[in-house]
Amino acid sequence: MNLTITRITARALLGRKRALLLLPMPALLIGLTLLANGTGVPAADWGPIVLGEMGITVILPLTALIVGSSVLGLEIEDGTITHILAKPLPRREIVLSKLFVAWGVTTLAAAAPLAVAGAIAGGPGLALGLLGGATLGALAYSAVFLAFSLLSRRPVAIGLIYIMLWENLLVRFASGAKVLSVQRYTTATADTISPSELLNATLPGVVAAALAVAVIAAGTMLATMRLRSFALTGETS
Amino acid sequence: MSRPHNAGSVIHDIGYQRYQGVRFGRRYSARSMYVHSLRTAYGFGRSARAKLLPCGIFALACIAALVLVVVSTQLPEPVLSYVGIVAIFSYGATAFVAVVAPELVSRDLRNSLLPLYFSRPPQRSDYALAKLAALATAVFALFAGPLLIMFVGLAFSGTSGLSGMLEQSGLLLAGIVTAVIHAIVLAAVALPLASLSGRRVFATGIIIAFFLIAAPVSGVLREIGPGALADLAGLLDTVSLLNGVDRWLFDEGLVRVGSYGPVYGLAAAVLAAAGTALLTLRYRKVKI
Repeated sequence: MNLTITRITARALLGRKRALLLLPMPALLIGLTLLANGTGVPAADWGPIVLGEMGITVILPLTALIVGSSVLGLEIEDGTITHILAKPLPRREIVLSKLFVAWGVTTLAAAAPLAVAGAIAGGPGLALGLLGGATLGALAYSAVFLAFSLLSRRPVAIGLIYIMLWENLLVRFASGAKVLSVQRYTTATADTISPSELLNATLPGVVAAALAVAVIAAGTMLATMRLRSFALTGETS
Repeated sequence: MSRPHNAGSVIHDIGYQRYQGVRFGRRYSARSMYVHSLRTAYGFGRSARAKLLPCGIFALACIAALVLVVVSTQLPEPVLSYVGIVAIFSYGATAFVAVVAPELVSRDLRNSLLPLYFSRPPQRSDYALAKLAALATAVFALFAGPLLIMFVGLAFSGTSGLSGMLEQSGLLLAGIVTAVIHAIVLAAVALPLASLSGRRVFATGIIIAFFLIAAPVSGVLREIGPGALADLAGLLDTVSLLNGVDRWLFDEGLVRVGSYGPVYGLAAAVLAAAGTALLTLRYRKVKI
């Protein structure tokens, strides 16, 4: 962890107008929860849609995708990564600092609102569960998308295919695919911390947490290795 | 500069030969932009990496269609109709437009290529419409591949001979109409969003956020709303909206529309028109 890199990354991410792009999604999540809660329809009907299909399936991965692939991806695209690579810093430190910022921002912009929505829908227990699950999920997603941004020139496109086709489509038809689905880890961890009928966990909590840790480690190591042998090229193709 | 020079207007003539050949006009340029954009959409004429994602999604759709055909021929009734396959694949098509639309417009914005386009005969609206037509055609091709596979599989495997083939052709026509509607609306939604950002990262993010976030919102309203609101909730989500149009036109599709079918049809038309208008407006105002 390097404080200077952390600070610069956070400023590049949040110091511009585009940081406002992170606001509508959590606002929509909490607004919709309040609206649904106000109608008096039991939470069992709308809870799984708001918390599961919207919060865990869309808002968390999408926020992590945008943030996780831009912490390093934008610097590569602009070529400013040379300034960081030229400093006498271990590449591991660079990756860890970037990952930390991505995790923090994703937690703030997606996991915390999810916990608030959980508190409205099911009380403090559910809020705690969602906060724990989503914080772990945010780290796992960030690690995966950070690695994508070093493996490819189009990290967002690949991450999008992963979210939409693997996590949302394939897991539904081939349930073995859930072993590599961060969304399933998030749900399972949240459900283990605070069992709730609003979450439909399909993995045992311990297994999910272990797999998530493995994914985080693999993503970080892959990113570090790629950054060690990083070749600067222009935007071709 | 197709106007002839008159002698008095020359500032400095260092004696180079002038271009005397035929100058192709605005329409030729617009058609060239369309063809080039269509090739760009699938990565033709570009590196293998650029082909990977769009062609990969196309291949996935075709494989899925093949599996469906093989399953269907083993069963007395086909598992999915032509309209149904378009309705199902529209979800995948949103991923496709989110990947492809930024390729078409964001790169030009980012690399400041627009002055080069706009200083030529084609007008700004020609550029916008050519890009839109190219994206719509690319999405249509994504639907057309699976439809064709399904048609070949079902029409030639049947035992009813020519009459079976004719019947299949009629059904295929409905599928093609659905595919055209879906392609136009999806392209008209995605391209204006993509043209907001010169960075493909953010352009893709904006498009996909728009498509993905709307689905659960409309799902929640369907759950909590009373009758009419539940039937109209699909209007909020582009994919549900399109499936509602299928329900209205062909009475098959994934959403319930009640008696509000025409509303869905109207909403789809308004969405396509608004998207096109916003895109042309965007390129009229864009800073170059």
